[in-house]
Amino acid sequence: MNLLAATVDLPSLPPVGLQHYLAVSALLFCLGVLGVLIRRNILVMYMSLELMLNASNLALVAFSRFNNNLNGQVMVFFIITVAAAEVAVGLALIVALYRKRQTAHVEDLTTMKL
Amino acid sequence: MNSYQLISLEIATVLLGLGILVADLWIAPAKRRMLGFIAAAGVAVIFAASFSPAFPDFGTAFGKMYVFDGLSLFFKRFFLAAAFIVLLLAIDFADRIAVGISEFYSLILFALAGMMFAASSNDFTLMFAALELITITFYVLTSFQRNKLQSLEAGVKYLILGALSTGFTVFGIALVSGIAGTTNFIELSAKLKDVSGDPVFLVGLLLLTTGLGFKIAAFPFHVWAPDVYQGSPAPVTAFLAVGSKAAGIVLLMRVLFVAVPEVAKSWSGLLAFISGATILYGSLCAIPQRSLKRLLGYSSIANAGFLMLGIAAVNKDGATAVLVYLAGYLFAVLAAFTVISIITRNAESDDISVLAGLSKRSPMLAAALTFSMVSLAGIPPLAGFFGKFLLLKSIIKAGSVSGPHFVLLAVAVIAVVISLYYYFGVIRAIFWSKDVSDHSPIPVPSVMAFTLAVCMAGMFLLGVFPGILVDADAEALNSAVGVFARLR
Repeated sequence: MNLLAATVDLPSLPPVGLQHYLAVSALLFCLGVLGVLIRRNILVMYMSLELMLNASNLALVAFSRFNNNLNGQVMVFFIITVAAAEVAVGLALIVALYRKRQTAHVEDLTTMKL
Repeated sequence: MNSYQLISLEIATVLLGLGILVADLWIAPAKRRMLGFIAAAGVAVIFAASFSPAFPDFGTAFGKMYVFDGLSLFFKRFFLAAAFIVLLLAIDFADRIAVGISEFYSLILFALAGMMFAASSNDFTLMFAALELITITFYVLTSFQRNKLQSLEAGVKYLILGALSTGFTVFGIALVSGIAGTTNFIELSAKLKDVSGDPVFLVGLLLLTTGLGFKIAAFPFHVWAPDVYQGSPAPVTAFLAVGSKAAGIVLLMRVLFVAVPEVAKSWSGLLAFISGATILYGSLCAIPQRSLKRLLGYSSIANAGFLMLGIAAVNKDGATAVLVYLAGYLFAVLAAFTVISIITRNAESDDISVLAGLSKRSPMLAAALTFSMVSLAGIPPLAGFFGKFLLLKSIIKAGSVSGPHFVLLAVAVIAVVISLYYYFGVIRAIFWSKDVSDHSPIPVPSVMAFTLAVCMAGMFLLGVFPGILVDADAEALNSAVGVFARLR
């Protein structure tokens, strides 16, 4: 059967608008914040932080498309580059801590207290 | 005007940093420590060059992304002065850093370049890039003593919370610039009437303010400060307390007063609340502290609150007072960290008890730390007094327009009294400690003696002749872009 020629009767959906993209982006951002707040493994927290940055990227690109200018997309390039630098430094730091302390859990970071 | 002429100070700083990094390849490991003198001398030359009459006039560059005005020039000089002293501190600290002292120097210079770009940013893109240049270099700097668990822990804590604040800032920028359709501060202020009612815009602005609040360690985004201050190497803590905080303040001023002046006015209640809570929290939590660096960490939170006071006043006096306060804060904090750096060389801990008998062991260190604490407490005739005085004056002026500011005034005055208690606790430990176990004199290296002399001279000069600084700051604000000149 020719898949390309196959037609499916879809119910007519409203077009995807800016608010849909923003809703998804806000959802991703909240998931990221929740991850940082709830998870106790530093690597998972770090992944959640990247999720927050990507939520912003989605919002920026969507705004860029609907505002008809390229500001948002330029900003996204900066964010991707900076995020890469941040990951390079961050993972190195986490590995250094692991070598010293044999742990990647925040509960174990207790040398300094009131 | 050529854009590259306007950013010549930043270009020189980055080149200096790269030069140090490259020079490291040809210099024997034993002599690498001396690169710090080249770095410090280079920063001093750049600082002097910023006063040169041949320097270009004020203007904007790179499609109005970068603005060179009085406000940015003031902050650039401020950062250069801070970095000069921090580099001297780093030279003395070099023997406590296992490997990579040249990288330590150049990272300080790169962070300095980021701060100087931040002072001039007039666009969310540049602001973001500058902020990240500062933050990412500080991730490395805070954890530079890799053989010390405390330093690594401080680095990881700063990493997670710094990245969290970046996430807030970026999402805020996405919403604000997306709704307004521009990333430029001045273009945004022109469109502000159309968008300032939009809830998505306001949420974005709130997130952006949150992100910057992390940078200056304002309540309730201060949690990282005490641990990071305690764990980091002393020169880094000093740079974090002075440079990073001032960068956050200048960006807060740029965003609130250049990009969204009307919203800043209507938010003065919120800003006043953050300011009051930060002052009280920092002052109260500093009381039971035993670690000197941690004590200064809480004191820096309280100081962030005082700086927010000038912003919350939303008037020109407040903005001027912020600049005056920062100048006094610079010398006091750097003097304190210089003393701590010297004392902790021999004693492993930085517990307040190591100060016992300091007045006998090293009168110079005792005098410098005493002056620094007196200046931070805001007692005349030292520099800290005038900054606090002007801040309180500006809030009284703001209070005559809106009543709630008087509550903030009362909070600030109470906090000043509380702060006297813990600052004088340090002075009491220096002069009146009962059980002095160690009577050996503490040697002060000549570089550190010079640093202390510069800091003490700064505290006295700014305290005795505050008029020069106040006039210069008012002029700096008059020539700044945005509403600074029009603020009452």
